[in-house]
Amino acid sequence: MKNIWIMTWFTLREALARKVFIFFLTISAVVLVIMAVVLGLSDKASFTMNVSGGNMQFTNPINMIEMMIVSPLSGLCLLLAIFASASFVPIMLEKGNIDLLLSKPVSRDQLLWGKYFGGILVVLINIAFLVIGVWMIISIKFSYWDFSFLTIILVITFTFAVLYSIIVLLGVTSKGSTLGMMVAYFIYIILSPLLYLGKDKLLVFIQSDFIKSLIKGAYYVVPKTQELMGQITKDLASGKGIEDYQPILTSLAFLILTMGISISIFRKKDF
Amino acid sequence: MNSIAIETSGLTKVYSSSFGKRKVEALTSLSLNVSTGMIFGLLGPNGAGKTTLIKLLLGITFPTSGRANILGEDITGYKMKYKIGYLPENHKYPSYLSGGEVMQFFGKLSGMDGTELNKKIDELLELVQLAKWKKTKVKNYSKGMMQRLGLAQALLNNPELIFLDEPTDGVDPIGRKEIRDILVELKNNGKTIFLNSHLLSEVELITDRVGILNKGILLREGDVKEMTQNKEEYKISIEGNSIDKLDDEILRKASFAKMNQDYYSFKVENTQELNKILDLLRTNGIVIKEMLQQKNSLEEIFISLIKEADKEKAQ
Ligand SMILES: Nc1ncnc2c1ncn2[C@@H]1O[C@H](COP(=O)(O)OP(=O)(O)OP(=O)(O)O)[C@@H](O)[C@H]1O
Ligand SMILES: [Mg+2]
Repeated sequence: MKNIWIMTWFTLREALARKVFIFFLTISAVVLVIMAVVLGLSDKASFTMNVSGGNMQFTNPINMIEMMIVSPLSGLCLLLAIFASASFVPIMLEKGNIDLLLSKPVSRDQLLWGKYFGGILVVLINIAFLVIGVWMIISIKFSYWDFSFLTIILVITFTFAVLYSIIVLLGVTSKGSTLGMMVAYFIYIILSPLLYLGKDKLLVFIQSDFIKSLIKGAYYVVPKTQELMGQITKDLASGKGIEDYQPILTSLAFLILTMGISISIFRKKDF
Repeated sequence: MNSIAIETSGLTKVYSSSFGKRKVEALTSLSLNVSTGMIFGLLGPNGAGKTTLIKLLLGITFPTSGRANILGEDITGYKMKYKIGYLPENHKYPSYLSGGEVMQFFGKLSGMDGTELNKKIDELLELVQLAKWKKTKVKNYSKGMMQRLGLAQALLNNPELIFLDEPTDGVDPIGRKEIRDILVELKNNGKTIFLNSHLLSEVELITDRVGILNKGILLREGDVKEMTQNKEEYKISIEGNSIDKLDDEILRKASFAKMNQDYYSFKVENTQELNKILDLLRTNGIVIKEMLQQKNSLEEIFISLIKEADKEKAQ
């Protein structure tokens, strides 16, 4: 356990040396400052009126304001995080690096888990900074403290954890960062949104039953980053809770399987 | 109490690259024992399989067949690595860390912490003369400095068995001498050192036993002193070249021959013959300035062994 933590900690150090994460923290900080200034200047009463006047059928308007800021920024955070974390494992596997690590009293499993948790910890810190920042400003402004909003930190980080498991697997097998990065982007930006739409809406246009079941099958296999970052995050932010656990559970199964394969390949690999 | 530090039997490694089409037999059925408390040198030309052997022993790569123990434990485990230090060839460190932080990282991975670790780091950086570079990022280190850091890192956990792959690679002559001194000191403290090198003259200076590896096959293994045993061959330096006028049965028998300006070489069968020659020279008024007994250098042995092996293979 201690070894995993050491690897995690030094992966965090590596991430900080990679300027991307600092860049994101800076963007977050700038957005938070602008937000605080704008809200500070605006009239509280007019906001409160709107809030109370909002129809309860929609989500809580305060959460809507919060989500308007958090959604695009957390999306950006994941894009940057995929880019920045793709080389964590390949760098560890470089000749001269891995030799040294494996000569220490550390198991191969511990090394890989350390790199995995390190990547996740970086994203957790970035997202937590953004979400807690937004939440604090809004909560202070409206004296409305809804802690359920903070649970989205976990869902967004989990979304990254699923994508990062693919990056780790392809990092271990290809010893490079490009493939993992491309596949993660492909799933996050194209495949998951497409399958999400496809499984009900696009299916109408398709005749063949075989292709229909193929799309449905693919939907369940591919990690559901679209829903995790979309519907589920929105529901959690508004305090509705999670209606359908299926996207989380199937994505978790994908994560466990992917990491399981990564570890079993890494255990046997020659360096 | 001479126990075994490294024990391999039938250790074989076949690398199959490019989808298994091309196979490289890097190590062929190697059986080798290394006792504790000595410096063992593994010699061999490039690609002989020296690094492969160390990697197998440390679980960095896996044997195709055969087995091995280090410090009495099978190499498949990792717990014995608490007692092992390793300096790989072409080692790399996280470039965003300073020398001191690299030591912290590997120290922690070796199960050390706190003041014990900090003290050890300062002590070792002092030993390899990097103390004043402790806070400098390793990406700004020179090659020799990296090598020194690598050595310091390998000694962090006070290991019983130390593997060094070309430890003096890229280090200047003074640095090399310093590293050799450190290794001898470690040996005197009861450590076992396993050294890979092709710097034969250097190896000869410090190792107790050597193994000569060629194309994955161990050609010879033995005591350095026995291997480089003296030949009954001498080199003598005299004043003037009055010796050329001497024509004596004794000298002809010893195949007395001029090497260069002042030096002559000759062979004798025993000490009596040697003294006869010296008497002959002295009675003829020749002034002897210097006399040396010729030795087989490790280099000569190495080159002739490798040549022989390659010739046999060609046939
Ligand atoms: N990962 C690998 N995949 C395929 N072949 C390899 C691998 N590592 C080493 N080899 C091959 O195994 C053989 C032995 O290599 P090794 O690195 O053990 O030699 P060495 O004795 O350490 O050489 P040097 O003195 O140059 O360091 C070489 O032919 C090399 O090409
Ligand atoms: Mg080598």
